[in-house]
Amino acid sequence: MADFFATYGSLVVSMVLGALLGLSLYLPLMTGQLSLASPGFYALGGYIAAILSTQVFTTSSSLYPIPLLLLEMLIAGVICGLLGVVVGIPALRLRGIYLAIATIAFVEVLRVISLNLDITGGAVGIFGIPQPFQTQIEYLWIALPLLLISMVLLYRLERIRVGRAFIAIREDELAAGAMGIDPTYYKVLAFTLGAMLAGVVGAISAHFLNTWNARQGTFDASIIYLTFVLIGGSRTFLGPVVGGMVFTALPEILRSLADTGGLPNWLAQFLRDGRLIIFGLLIVIGTIFFPQGLITPDIFKRRKIKK
Amino acid sequence: MSYSIPTSNNGIVLEVRALTRRFGGLVAVNNVSFSVNKYEIFGLIGPNGAGKTTLFNLITAFIPPSSGKLIYQGAEISQQRPHQIAALGIARTFQNIRLFGELSALENVIIARHLHTKSNMITGVLGLPPAPSEEFKTKQKALELLDLVGLSDRADEKAKNFAYGDQRRLEIARALALKPQILLLDEPAAGMNPNEKQQLSAFIRSLRNDFHLTIILIEHHVPLVMGLCDRIAVLDFGQLIALGKPSVVRNDPAVIEAYLGND
Repeated sequence: MADFFATYGSLVVSMVLGALLGLSLYLPLMTGQLSLASPGFYALGGYIAAILSTQVFTTSSSLYPIPLLLLEMLIAGVICGLLGVVVGIPALRLRGIYLAIATIAFVEVLRVISLNLDITGGAVGIFGIPQPFQTQIEYLWIALPLLLISMVLLYRLERIRVGRAFIAIREDELAAGAMGIDPTYYKVLAFTLGAMLAGVVGAISAHFLNTWNARQGTFDASIIYLTFVLIGGSRTFLGPVVGGMVFTALPEILRSLADTGGLPNWLAQFLRDGRLIIFGLLIVIGTIFFPQGLITPDIFKRRKIKK
Repeated sequence: MSYSIPTSNNGIVLEVRALTRRFGGLVAVNNVSFSVNKYEIFGLIGPNGAGKTTLFNLITAFIPPSSGKLIYQGAEISQQRPHQIAALGIARTFQNIRLFGELSALENVIIARHLHTKSNMITGVLGLPPAPSEEFKTKQKALELLDLVGLSDRADEKAKNFAYGDQRRLEIARALALKPQILLLDEPAAGMNPNEKQQLSAFIRSLRNDFHLTIILIEHHVPLVMGLCDRIAVLDFGQLIALGKPSVVRNDPAVIEAYLGND
């Protein structure tokens, strides 16, 4: 058991964080908004935690105190929330592909800013971020409760007034307006919630990965999170959770597949490095054959009827 | 059912004043003025392309007017947004049914109760008051409305799976969930056979009486309109060419020439 945790602890935590990042994309998607802004807030959250822990909350103890980590998460969440509102209100006037483009631009802007500021360490980034735990797997103490709380919150959200407003806007924004639902308010709300979640995950990840730099918030990451949701399931909160876990584990699986002997060199190489190509292919195949993703609400309804 | 609410002395609930809407060079609604009395069943007829649905879209703020005013219960509403119009008490159905297809019939109606509940994210997620009682009440009210239109036995079916006529009834139930003062029905009888149209006519009249509504109705089926409406406005090429009681409109030469003559 200890061996398993030693080898795979890091992967398990990454899978949980991946699930959370999938959820951060799922929130705006509940209102039908294709926002690719999560990596930007993820990077920002990470920088906030990195800067605070290396320059502001410097401690002499060997392990970084957990209450300070929680404080960093809170600050990251609040700042990302505020930025989410500021960016969301103008950006969410755009529809469909134009919103996606605007959020891609947002991520790029943040990335370039982080490359050029001293406080973020420029191109080198920030390293030596203190660790609150001895081993990687202990990060589950923070990540897993966060995932469970988020899942419960989203489970509840889908069944209450605000969640129904989100879904109505996704189904037909104009009809939702005619029913008294203010689309702008709820779209910005969903976007901001996603931003806050991504920011908190970023704060955790900065400690988890020990270093943080501009490569943490890129367009590539947007595509990866999008795969989580599109293939995992875009109509229920379980979709991004499963998608996030499976597709975070997938490169590792591909890599160990590549390392099994007997494969031609080019195939092994492709399995190891062609992750983004494979993800892109999966997005295309997924949206054609599984438009709602693998996990759909109908699965639950069918089980309910069978009972 | 022989009782009806007298409609001429209750005051004006909606006034359209010199309303115009252009789409580029096309004038879809051209300087239209009329007022609708409270508790009236007001018909809006005219050939295809006359501007009837555009007029509905103007009243419900889906599109802004190019010029002119809309006055509801004495206040100007020309610059409002659709959800604000709904909050003021104007509900509508759509010519090309706009239900939330993937959601169940019950969910469709429940969503329209949005304005009459106020629990937010925090009270909702944590199950704090007023959320639980609101959720319960909302579901009850929605079931009542589905019952009213005869769809309560299929409350959990996806809206897109209903037959066309049932979808129209579901849309009406959804619009009623807003507890509106004015109900705009855009071709509610489309696709119905004569028997269903009869039932719909009686149903609309009972809605007006039981829910104390003002109803504005776009319809193509002239006998339905003539038998149901207290007054009728006739549009042709965006202009109002006649307005009055059915017996008057029926004999108006301009109307006969534009519309009824070829029936």
